Amino acid sequence: MNVIVASTYYTLYQSEKERSFYLDFGQKMVRMSLCQLLALRYKVMSIPIEDHFDGDLNKHGFEVLLLCNKEHLFVLNTYEILDLKQFVEQSFVALGLSAEAETVTI
Amino acid sequence: MTKPIDMKDIARQSMSIKVESMDLLNGQIKMEAHASATYLAMASWCEQNGFFTSAKFFYKQSEEERGHMMKIFEFLVDTGGNPVSPEVADINHDYASIVDVFENTLEHEVKVTKSIHNIVKKARELGDIATERFLDWFVLEQVEEENTIRDILDMIEVTGTEGVGLQMIDNQVASWIK
Ligand SMILES: [Fe+2]
Ligand SMILES: [Fe+2]
Repeated sequence: MNVIVASTYYTLYQSEKERSFYLDFGQKMVRMSLCQLLALRYKVMSIPIEDHFDGDLNKHGFEVLLLCNKEHLFVLNTYEILDLKQFVEQSFVALGLSAEAETVTI
Repeated sequence: MTKPIDMKDIARQSMSIKVESMDLLNGQIKMEAHASATYLAMASWCEQNGFFTSAKFFYKQSEEERGHMMKIFEFLVDTGGNPVSPEVADINHDYASIVDVFENTLEHEVKVTKSIHNIVKKARELGDIATERFLDWFVLEQVEEENTIRDILDMIEVTGTEGVGLQMIDNQVASWIK
Protein backbone atom coordinates (compact mmCIF):
# COMPACT_ATOMS: atom_id res chain seq x y z
CA MET A 1 0.00 0.00 0.00
CA ASN A 2 1.17 3.49 -0.83
CA VAL A 3 0.66 6.56 1.29
CA ILE A 4 -1.18 9.27 -0.62
CA VAL A 5 -1.57 11.93 2.06
CA ALA A 6 -0.89 12.06 5.78
CA SER A 7 -2.00 14.71 8.26
CA THR A 8 -1.79 15.01 12.03
CA TYR A 9 -4.59 12.52 12.65
CA TYR A 10 -5.26 10.80 9.33
CA THR A 11 -3.52 8.89 6.57
CA LEU A 12 -4.86 7.88 3.17
CA TYR A 13 -3.44 4.81 1.45
CA GLN A 14 -4.01 3.38 -1.98
CA SER A 15 -4.04 -0.35 -2.52
CA GLU A 16 -3.35 -1.18 -6.14
CA LYS A 17 -4.00 -4.86 -5.62
CA GLU A 18 -7.51 -4.23 -4.32
CA ARG A 19 -8.04 -1.15 -6.46
CA SER A 20 -9.30 0.75 -3.44
CA PHE A 21 -8.27 3.11 -0.67
CA TYR A 22 -7.70 2.81 3.05
CA LEU A 23 -8.22 5.63 5.47
CA ASP A 24 -6.47 5.37 8.80
CA PHE A 25 -8.54 7.23 11.41
CA GLY A 26 -6.07 6.40 14.17
CA GLN A 27 -8.62 4.34 16.09
CA LYS A 28 -9.57 2.33 13.04
CA MET A 29 -8.54 1.60 9.46
CA VAL A 30 -11.42 1.87 6.99
CA ARG A 31 -11.41 0.46 3.48
CA MET A 32 -13.07 2.87 1.06
CA SER A 33 -13.94 3.05 -2.60
CA LEU A 34 -13.62 6.34 -4.44
CA CYS A 35 -17.39 6.72 -4.19
CA GLN A 36 -17.16 6.41 -0.44
CA LEU A 37 -14.34 8.93 -0.36
CA LEU A 38 -16.55 11.33 -2.31
CA ALA A 39 -19.35 10.76 0.18
CA LEU A 40 -16.91 11.41 3.03
CA ARG A 41 -15.79 14.61 1.32
CA TYR A 42 -19.39 15.80 1.03
CA LYS A 43 -20.11 15.06 4.70
CA VAL A 44 -16.92 16.65 5.96
CA MET A 45 -17.33 19.76 3.81
CA SER A 46 -20.90 20.13 5.11
CA ILE A 47 -19.85 20.26 8.76
CA PRO A 48 -20.41 23.83 9.98
CA ILE A 49 -17.08 24.31 11.73
CA GLU A 50 -17.96 27.91 12.75
CA ASP A 51 -20.53 26.43 15.13
CA HIS A 52 -17.66 24.97 17.14
CA PHE A 53 -16.58 28.47 18.06
CA ASP A 54 -20.04 29.47 19.24
CA GLY A 55 -20.97 27.98 22.62
CA ASP A 56 -24.69 28.10 21.79
CA LEU A 57 -24.60 26.41 18.43
CA ASN A 58 -22.35 23.50 19.33
CA LYS A 59 -22.19 23.18 23.11
CA HIS A 60 -19.91 20.14 23.20
CA GLY A 61 -17.56 20.74 20.29
CA PHE A 62 -18.09 17.27 18.85
CA GLU A 63 -19.34 15.95 15.53
CA VAL A 64 -20.70 12.51 14.81
CA LEU A 65 -19.55 11.16 11.47
CA LEU A 66 -21.31 8.15 9.99
CA LEU A 67 -19.45 6.53 7.12
CA CYS A 68 -19.96 3.89 4.48
CA ASN A 69 -23.71 3.48 4.84
CA LYS A 70 -23.59 3.69 8.62
CA GLU A 71 -21.02 0.91 8.91
CA HIS A 72 -18.59 3.16 10.80
CA LEU A 73 -19.23 5.80 13.41
CA PHE A 74 -16.72 8.36 14.58
CA VAL A 75 -17.02 11.04 17.21
CA LEU A 76 -14.58 13.81 16.35
CA ASN A 77 -13.55 16.94 18.24
CA THR A 78 -12.88 20.39 16.80
CA TYR A 79 -9.16 19.77 16.18
CA GLU A 80 -9.88 16.51 14.41
CA ILE A 81 -12.57 18.09 12.22
CA LEU A 82 -10.29 20.97 11.24
CA ASP A 83 -7.56 18.52 10.37
CA LEU A 84 -9.98 16.23 8.51
CA LYS A 85 -11.37 19.07 6.37
CA GLN A 86 -7.89 20.01 5.23
CA PHE A 87 -6.87 16.39 4.86
CA VAL A 88 -9.83 15.58 2.59
CA GLU A 89 -9.11 18.56 0.37
CA GLN A 90 -5.45 17.61 0.06
CA SER A 91 -6.39 14.02 -0.66
CA PHE A 92 -8.39 14.99 -3.74
CA VAL A 93 -5.61 17.25 -4.94
CA ALA A 94 -3.13 14.39 -4.51
CA LEU A 95 -5.46 11.98 -6.28
CA GLY A 96 -5.50 14.31 -9.28
CA LEU A 97 -9.23 14.96 -9.00
CA SER A 98 -9.05 18.47 -7.65
CA ALA A 99 -7.39 21.38 -9.35
CA GLU A 100 -7.36 23.40 -6.20
CA ALA A 101 -3.93 24.62 -5.22
CA GLU A 102 -2.64 23.43 -1.90
CA THR A 103 -4.46 26.08 0.05
CA VAL A 104 -5.39 26.10 3.67
CA THR A 105 -9.01 27.06 3.47
CA ILE A 106 -10.89 25.68 6.42
CA MET B 1 1.44 17.76 -4.37
CA THR B 2 1.65 14.87 -6.84
CA LYS B 3 1.74 11.19 -6.27
CA PRO B 4 4.69 9.02 -7.22
CA ILE B 5 4.51 8.26 -10.94
CA ASP B 6 4.68 4.52 -10.57
CA MET B 7 1.36 4.43 -8.71
CA LYS B 8 -1.73 3.40 -10.62
CA ASP B 9 -4.25 6.17 -11.14
CA ILE B 10 -7.18 4.36 -9.56
CA ALA B 11 -8.90 7.63 -8.66
CA ARG B 12 -8.80 9.01 -12.18
CA GLN B 13 -10.01 5.68 -13.54
CA SER B 14 -13.08 5.89 -11.28
CA MET B 15 -13.98 9.49 -11.95
CA SER B 16 -13.71 11.50 -15.14
CA ILE B 17 -14.45 15.06 -14.01
CA LYS B 18 -12.92 17.33 -11.38
CA VAL B 19 -14.47 17.59 -7.93
CA GLU B 20 -14.78 21.35 -8.37
CA SER B 21 -16.98 20.78 -11.44
CA MET B 22 -18.95 18.21 -9.47
CA ASP B 23 -19.60 20.76 -6.70
CA LEU B 24 -20.76 23.36 -9.21
CA LEU B 25 -23.01 20.84 -10.98
CA ASN B 26 -24.53 19.83 -7.65
CA GLY B 27 -25.22 23.53 -7.12
CA GLN B 28 -26.91 23.61 -10.52
CA ILE B 29 -29.00 20.57 -9.60
CA LYS B 30 -30.26 22.59 -6.66
CA MET B 31 -31.00 25.56 -8.87
CA GLU B 32 -33.00 23.47 -11.36
CA ALA B 33 -34.95 21.90 -8.49
CA HIS B 34 -35.63 25.37 -7.15
CA ALA B 35 -36.84 26.48 -10.59
CA SER B 36 -39.09 23.42 -10.82
CA ALA B 37 -40.63 24.17 -7.41
CA THR B 38 -40.98 27.87 -8.22
CA TYR B 39 -42.88 27.13 -11.44
CA LEU B 40 -45.15 24.79 -9.55
CA ALA B 41 -45.89 27.62 -7.12
CA MET B 42 -46.63 29.87 -10.10
CA ALA B 43 -48.99 27.21 -11.49
CA SER B 44 -50.76 27.23 -8.14
CA TRP B 45 -51.08 31.01 -8.24
CA CYS B 46 -52.44 30.87 -11.80
CA GLU B 47 -55.01 28.21 -10.85
CA GLN B 48 -56.22 30.28 -7.91
CA ASN B 49 -56.47 33.45 -9.94
CA GLY B 50 -58.27 32.05 -12.93
CA PHE B 51 -55.38 31.89 -15.40
CA PHE B 52 -55.84 28.26 -16.35
CA THR B 53 -53.85 28.24 -19.57
CA SER B 54 -50.91 29.90 -17.86
CA ALA B 55 -51.21 27.28 -15.11
CA LYS B 56 -50.78 24.58 -17.75
CA PHE B 57 -47.76 26.41 -19.09
CA PHE B 58 -46.15 26.44 -15.65
CA TYR B 59 -46.91 22.77 -14.95
CA LYS B 60 -45.05 22.03 -18.16
CA GLN B 61 -42.16 24.33 -17.22
CA SER B 62 -41.95 22.74 -13.79
CA GLU B 63 -41.63 19.31 -15.36
CA GLU B 64 -38.98 20.54 -17.78
CA GLU B 65 -36.88 21.94 -14.96
CA ARG B 66 -37.01 18.61 -13.21
CA GLY B 67 -35.83 17.09 -16.47
CA HIS B 68 -32.86 19.47 -16.49
CA MET B 69 -32.05 18.49 -12.94
CA MET B 70 -32.10 14.80 -13.81
CA LYS B 71 -29.89 15.38 -16.84
CA ILE B 72 -27.18 16.79 -14.58
CA PHE B 73 -27.80 14.10 -11.98
CA GLU B 74 -27.23 11.39 -14.59
CA PHE B 75 -24.12 13.10 -15.91
CA LEU B 76 -22.65 13.00 -12.40
CA VAL B 77 -23.48 9.31 -12.18
CA ASP B 78 -21.92 8.63 -15.60
CA THR B 79 -18.71 10.43 -14.69
CA GLY B 80 -18.36 8.62 -11.38
CA GLY B 81 -19.26 11.62 -9.28
CA ASN B 82 -21.49 11.95 -6.27
CA PRO B 83 -24.86 13.55 -7.16
CA VAL B 84 -26.69 15.07 -4.21
CA SER B 85 -30.47 15.18 -3.89
CA PRO B 86 -31.20 18.87 -3.40
CA GLU B 87 -32.89 20.62 -0.51
CA VAL B 88 -35.35 23.17 -1.81
CA ALA B 89 -36.43 26.08 0.37
CA ASP B 90 -37.95 29.55 0.18
CA ILE B 91 -40.42 29.09 -2.64
CA ASN B 92 -42.34 32.29 -3.30
CA HIS B 93 -46.11 31.92 -3.73
CA ASP B 94 -47.03 35.61 -3.79
CA TYR B 95 -47.41 37.54 -7.01
CA ALA B 96 -49.04 40.90 -7.61
CA SER B 97 -50.41 39.99 -11.05
CA ILE B 98 -50.02 37.64 -13.99
CA VAL B 99 -47.53 40.12 -15.45
CA ASP B 100 -45.55 39.91 -12.23
CA VAL B 101 -45.50 36.11 -12.59
CA PHE B 102 -43.97 36.26 -16.07
CA GLU B 103 -41.54 39.01 -15.12
CA ASN B 104 -40.32 36.85 -12.24
CA THR B 105 -39.99 33.92 -14.60
CA LEU B 106 -37.69 35.87 -16.90
CA GLU B 107 -35.66 37.06 -13.95
CA HIS B 108 -35.31 33.47 -12.76
CA GLU B 109 -34.26 32.21 -16.19
CA VAL B 110 -31.62 34.92 -16.53
CA LYS B 111 -30.22 33.88 -13.15
CA VAL B 112 -30.05 30.26 -14.33
CA THR B 113 -28.32 31.30 -17.56
CA LYS B 114 -25.70 33.24 -15.63
CA SER B 115 -25.09 30.28 -13.35
CA ILE B 116 -24.60 27.91 -16.31
CA HIS B 117 -22.24 30.33 -18.04
CA ASN B 118 -20.27 30.56 -14.81
CA ILE B 119 -19.85 26.77 -14.66
CA VAL B 120 -18.76 26.69 -18.32
CA LYS B 121 -16.08 29.27 -17.56
CA LYS B 122 -14.90 27.43 -14.45
CA ALA B 123 -14.80 24.09 -16.31
CA ARG B 124 -12.73 25.75 -19.02
CA GLU B 125 -10.32 27.10 -16.38
CA LEU B 126 -10.02 23.62 -14.89
CA GLY B 127 -9.44 22.05 -18.28
CA ASP B 128 -12.52 19.91 -17.64
CA ILE B 129 -13.57 19.43 -21.27
CA ALA B 130 -16.22 16.81 -20.51
CA THR B 131 -18.16 19.18 -18.24
CA GLU B 132 -17.74 22.07 -20.66
CA ARG B 133 -19.10 20.01 -23.57
CA PHE B 134 -21.92 18.59 -21.47
CA LEU B 135 -23.13 22.12 -20.74
CA ASP B 136 -23.43 23.05 -24.44
CA TRP B 137 -26.98 21.73 -24.45
CA PHE B 138 -27.89 23.85 -21.42
CA VAL B 139 -26.44 27.01 -22.91
CA LEU B 140 -28.69 26.66 -25.98
CA GLU B 141 -31.69 25.56 -23.93
CA GLN B 142 -31.40 28.76 -21.89
CA VAL B 143 -31.40 30.90 -25.04
CA GLU B 144 -34.65 29.22 -26.01
CA GLU B 145 -36.26 29.53 -22.59
CA GLU B 146 -35.36 33.20 -22.19
CA ASN B 147 -36.73 33.83 -25.66
CA THR B 148 -40.05 32.13 -24.87
CA ILE B 149 -40.64 34.25 -21.78
CA ARG B 150 -39.56 37.44 -23.56
CA ASP B 151 -42.08 36.66 -26.32
CA ILE B 152 -44.83 36.21 -23.76
CA LEU B 153 -43.91 39.53 -22.10
CA ASP B 154 -43.94 41.23 -25.52
CA MET B 155 -47.38 39.78 -26.20
CA ILE B 156 -48.58 41.11 -22.82
CA GLU B 157 -47.36 44.56 -23.72
CA VAL B 158 -49.20 44.51 -27.04
CA THR B 159 -52.42 43.09 -25.57
CA GLY B 160 -52.42 45.45 -22.63
CA THR B 161 -53.59 44.62 -19.13
CA GLU B 162 -56.82 46.64 -19.10
CA GLY B 163 -60.30 45.10 -19.16
CA VAL B 164 -60.45 41.87 -21.16
CA GLY B 165 -56.68 42.01 -21.63
CA LEU B 166 -55.82 39.70 -18.76
CA GLN B 167 -57.96 36.79 -19.95
CA MET B 168 -56.76 37.37 -23.51
CA ILE B 169 -53.20 37.17 -22.25
CA ASP B 170 -54.00 33.87 -20.59
CA ASN B 171 -55.56 32.46 -23.76
CA GLN B 172 -52.59 33.43 -25.87
CA VAL B 173 -50.14 31.69 -23.59
CA ALA B 174 -51.47 28.50 -25.22
CA SER B 175 -49.27 29.15 -28.25
CA TRP B 176 -46.19 28.70 -26.09
CA ILE B 177 -47.17 25.37 -24.61
CA LYS B 178 -45.03 22.95 -26.54
FE1 LIG C 1 -33.52 24.67 -16.40
FE1 LIG D 1 -35.66 27.13 -17.33
